Amino acid sequence: MNDLAVDVRKLSKKYGTLLALDRVDLKVEEGKLFALLGPNGAGKTTLLRILTTQFEPTSGDAFVLGKNVITQGEELRELISYVPQEMSVWMDISGYENLLIYSKIYGLSAEERKDAIRDSLQLMDLADAANRLVSTFSGGMIRKLELACAVMIKPKILFLDEPTIGLDPATRKTIWKKLRALNRESGTNVFFSTHYMDEAELYADEIGIMNKGKLIKVASPEELKRSVSSDLVTIESGSLISRSVASHLRRLKDVSCVEPKGDIVEISTRSSEESLGGIVKSLLADGVVIKKISTRKPTIDDAFLRYAGTKGSSQDVGRLQELKRTRERIRRG
Amino acid sequence: MNINEYTRVILAMIELEIRRIMHDRTELYLRAVQPLLWLLVFGPVVGSFHSIPTGNIPYTDYIMPGVLVQSTTTVAIFFGLVVIWERESGILKKLVASPSPDVAIVMGRSMAAGTRAIFQAIFIIPFAVLMGVTIFPNPLYPLAALIIVFVASSGFASLSIFIASILKTRERFMGLGQVIILPMFFGSNALYPVSSMPPLLQLFATVNPMTYIVDALRGLLITGNISQLPLDIVVIIIFDAVLISIASMSFKRIIE
Repeated sequence: MNDLAVDVRKLSKKYGTLLALDRVDLKVEEGKLFALLGPNGAGKTTLLRILTTQFEPTSGDAFVLGKNVITQGEELRELISYVPQEMSVWMDISGYENLLIYSKIYGLSAEERKDAIRDSLQLMDLADAANRLVSTFSGGMIRKLELACAVMIKPKILFLDEPTIGLDPATRKTIWKKLRALNRESGTNVFFSTHYMDEAELYADEIGIMNKGKLIKVASPEELKRSVSSDLVTIESGSLISRSVASHLRRLKDVSCVEPKGDIVEISTRSSEESLGGIVKSLLADGVVIKKISTRKPTIDDAFLRYAGTKGSSQDVGRLQELKRTRERIRRG
Repeated sequence: MNINEYTRVILAMIELEIRRIMHDRTELYLRAVQPLLWLLVFGPVVGSFHSIPTGNIPYTDYIMPGVLVQSTTTVAIFFGLVVIWERESGILKKLVASPSPDVAIVMGRSMAAGTRAIFQAIFIIPFAVLMGVTIFPNPLYPLAALIIVFVASSGFASLSIFIASILKTRERFMGLGQVIILPMFFGSNALYPVSSMPPLLQLFATVNPMTYIVDALRGLLITGNISQLPLDIVVIIIFDAVLISIASMSFKRIIE
């Protein structure tokens, strides 16, 4: 049990009548970068906040690094760091002062403190900006400062709630590079939530797909993509695709699904490379004029769609806007 | 539970507040305007009627401790706004997930407000002297007065944190702040002796912690009569203990 970073058993959390977490079971081994992927309201934040001992679950058990989050909260809090989704640094003091105050709250000794602050500023590329007021920082710099606060205390496990939300792609990439390096070099566990599929796919060792309070599937990005299995071939023709054309296509080897939509037909196949020849031959034999062919490999999006039954990122746009506005408002004080 | 853990969290938060004040003192200046008006306008005008029995103290001198308490209490009560801001941002969540015990967080945030109140007092007292208020000539007394200001304001800040944990939004909070301060101010011995009040108000004044805070400060800063000081201190400490406990108990609610 000790080699599990996170061990969650039948965990449920109710807010009034709303079931935010519904009997979640999850085991994450030590040393991993673990992503909780899901749309907003899926229960990701609730799970993170229970794991960081902020409130108790309604039922079930949760262990982090072998410590019970309910009964051993005090010991556990010494081992973890948590970066909430919202802004979590003081705006009216400098970046350096933020780290200084946090280091004192965490009880780092005077010698430890000096090195820890310097190292974390350097790690997050904030050494030059350290003495500026945080209110003059950009969104990306604020996020880096929050991460600097979190890594400064050298936690065994880092809990990050939507660590890159609202940031530009370049900043997102740098932040992930740093988190990944931290994970690989010092073995720090990283447990994060995101609704960016690409992020989960690129940076996580393991992904847990959540929707409506349920943890639906846990697997590596590769496994997830493989489990979706089929490639998609889309053919655009000048004329309507007839039923007989579609039924000829269905007879081809490895083709699992054929969907004619007007003059477009979508064909699911195990491997587009292997099936394309046969598809084209069949269409030509039926006298179909081919205007355009496109093929697509499965992505985490498809896996997500399959397991969660809903699209991930698109519906979050409104919510993201709202969050940006809140952050903006908070910054202005 | 160990004392070191508490001390370090509290000291860190006091330091945070001092650094904050060093970066931006605008609030301190703006909040000084109101007490200065009391001393500059209200005191001399009402004092000129000679209608309030203040012993042989000039009226402006008489109300100076009360005005000081009102001003520092305002600072403390509105500290809840800082806590609400820290709730809207993720700071409180982060603090709750840190090894600091809730009680230490509440005490730390409260004493940070107490620290801000001291700065406010340090700003107001010399101004009062400039305006002709005679401070009791014992250098230890003003020092003791500052400690009283610190402790009392910390108590009011706990009250403020408790209110913040219930109201949760700044709009509601803004409204309530004044509703708390003014009745306590007018229902105390800040502007007139308790003995000159109607009976019902006298009763309120005797359970009103502000009466004791004003009494302590008046003794230390103006009259030099500190016979009531032990009682005042006991009341203030009980007030603090009760409010810190209540605020700590409801603290987790603020982040839910």
